[in-house]
Amino acid sequence: MQRDAMSVTISPPEQDDLPELQPPKGKRFFGGREGAQKKFVAGVMSPVIAYMLLWGLIPLVWAFALGFFLYSARRAGGPFLGLGGDNPFVGLDHYKAMLDFSPDASLNVRQFHIAVKVTLLFAFIVVPLNLAITLPLAAMIESVHNRVKPFFRSIFFIPVLTSAVGVAIIWGFVLHPQRGLLNALLSKITGRLVVISWTTDPNLVVIGIPVALFAIIVAYLWQDIGYNLVIFIAALQAIPDSVKDAALIDGASAWQTFRYITLPLLKPTILLASVLTMISAFQVFDLFQVMTAGGPQDQTRALSLDIYETAFRFQRMGWSAAVSVVLFAIVLVISLVQTRMLKSNWEY
Amino acid sequence: MKIRSGRVRWLVLVAAMMLVVAACSSSGSTDTTAAPGGGGDAGGLSGTVRVWTHQNGAFNDGLKALADGFMAENSGVTIEFETFDYDTYIQTLQTALPAGTEADVLQMFGTWTCSYASNLASVPSGVASLDDARSKFFGAPIEGYVCDDALYGFPQEFNIEYGATLFNNATAAEAGVSGEWDSWDEFVTQAQAMTETVDGNMLRAGYNFTASDAIPYTFYSNILQAGGSFLGDDGFTIDTPEGRQALELMVSWVDAGIVDPVLFNDESNWVGDSFFEESSAMGLVGPWVVPEYESDFPDVAAVTEYRLLPTLAGSPDFVADSGWGLTVSKSSEVQDAAWAFVAYVTLNAENAAEWNSASGTLPALKSNAEGAAKDALVADFPHFEPFFDLLQYGQYVGHMPDRDLVWYDITYPHILNVLQGNESIDDALAGMEKEANETFG
Repeated sequence: MQRDAMSVTISPPEQDDLPELQPPKGKRFFGGREGAQKKFVAGVMSPVIAYMLLWGLIPLVWAFALGFFLYSARRAGGPFLGLGGDNPFVGLDHYKAMLDFSPDASLNVRQFHIAVKVTLLFAFIVVPLNLAITLPLAAMIESVHNRVKPFFRSIFFIPVLTSAVGVAIIWGFVLHPQRGLLNALLSKITGRLVVISWTTDPNLVVIGIPVALFAIIVAYLWQDIGYNLVIFIAALQAIPDSVKDAALIDGASAWQTFRYITLPLLKPTILLASVLTMISAFQVFDLFQVMTAGGPQDQTRALSLDIYETAFRFQRMGWSAAVSVVLFAIVLVISLVQTRMLKSNWEY
Repeated sequence: MKIRSGRVRWLVLVAAMMLVVAACSSSGSTDTTAAPGGGGDAGGLSGTVRVWTHQNGAFNDGLKALADGFMAENSGVTIEFETFDYDTYIQTLQTALPAGTEADVLQMFGTWTCSYASNLASVPSGVASLDDARSKFFGAPIEGYVCDDALYGFPQEFNIEYGATLFNNATAAEAGVSGEWDSWDEFVTQAQAMTETVDGNMLRAGYNFTASDAIPYTFYSNILQAGGSFLGDDGFTIDTPEGRQALELMVSWVDAGIVDPVLFNDESNWVGDSFFEESSAMGLVGPWVVPEYESDFPDVAAVTEYRLLPTLAGSPDFVADSGWGLTVSKSSEVQDAAWAFVAYVTLNAENAAEWNSASGTLPALKSNAEGAAKDALVADFPHFEPFFDLLQYGQYVGHMPDRDLVWYDITYPHILNVLQGNESIDDALAGMEKEANETFG
């Protein structure tokens, strides 16, 4: 209502009244002040665009193309980029094979199905858990005294800066069945020797989810929450105090303020954080490779690991490229759905 | 003109940046080392021979010493070494060979050779015939270099992973066992005595054979010992009585409690780590592992020996990969000099023995597995001694499209699954046979 009351209607000028804005010939793009700005932008962007073309777009197109070939770098193939000949064109065969859900499906296909399941499970557990931890944590850190805020921010952000491989190795020490800290702690508590193979026992399953996968989820969250935490802290700081003050004056409790004022205002940030976390969750490789190498019995074989193994260990590059295209499609679709679900039509 | 010169400047800038990026990417992690040499043409050979190897200090020092000797005898030839870390080397071979940009001499793991045979030169008849090579080299190492009855290079080492086990003398003494056995039953009894279990949890395995190399080598070797075979002209035949016998034998070891395959496998308590950290009293892994660990675990290394394993039916047949050796590129322009160098290193018994001694590897040449050459090698590497009695029984794993896939993604997971009680022997044998045969398609 307030917005309507203050709105002003401005009529567009008649077409004939418009001044001649065409720049003189020869100075259309780079002349004058505007031209200098364009030059600067072109200068700054050119290396990035060249870089993206060289290392981003070309490999992407190459991956899409390879998905249509039975390609292995070991085979000589045809004269054009090694395609054809011993690396024959197979059209959509790889994609059709992915839809074979029979028990007689080839090992490739069954491992792909496992990898899709593991990756989706991982992503759909990690994203809500991450948001459920980081958002309240950010609100709590925002509520403490200004002097101690940087301390908490640093504590939670330091793991983000550490190497994922280092994180995986340290968690491997913690979870080692015989020399691990966790089993040592459990042994102390129970008074008897506890030897649990957290990451190597295929029979260790809780609510249908392998414990080895939970172990990777814990390590991932430990390392990753600092990133979203910083995003949420920044978003919380951007919410005008006046909005919250108005709610308090209206008699809202702290919880009601958070639930009905802060949370809706954070919706665009939640969207951003969930999309970024989802994309990141689909790309996790280091933790899977170092902590479990896909085991036990492929229970943690994520798509990124499946792609790596088939492409670089077993040289089935065509199949691997097709799997990476599917991963790309899955991430794209889920990101679009997330964007649609969490989209808001207003800003503050 | 102003606009045109501006565009030219931008084009030059972008081109320069792309050149810098390309230069950075191609320099990679390769380490180029040129051996000294050059000069006249005394031996009738001339040219520069580029040699690619993977980065292994002992291997390359031995090879460079031989290169110096070769260049002294052939003053017209210069040998240049380019070395790559292992992973980069594999990827470089995979991309360079189809592109024809490889070096003249390529160090090759014998088992890979046939994958690259279309880009490799076959051995000229003047260097050695196939029959000559088969008579000079042990079967397991040379057969990797034989593709469709043509010879594509020569091995330098005998790669062995089965036949003898690491044995901790101190643990054996504590357990009161002799380490002498005539059958698997006696072996298992002694392994049980060395196993340590507390509150139902295994702290020390008596015999750790559940790593991703140990399981396939044990399985396929015991198929051979049972009188069977697993790879023929029609592909893999694993679901056989001999396959069942081999797998049942392995299951019986787990049932006897000498290893817990959930705690001891490739991902947890890997056999090398586990043996030298003394959580395994015996462990199945090749003799290359001792030099890797002895500096960190000198006390354990001092009480470590290799002991021959029992056999299933008398003959100690075993499967073996074809180890590292040398091949020549088909597109090399200095083929004569390249083959002369390869022959100098691999076919000359004295030189081959010198390289084995420098690199700490078992000999591929039969003549170096006896007499003074053997004595010299055993003096340097006492752990080798029991293996010399086995080398003649080694059989090449066979030509298959992807040995690593069959070993690590098919055989190991199926058998580990059986040993962990999650798959039946029937299902595992059928599954392995089906999946291994799919690798041909």
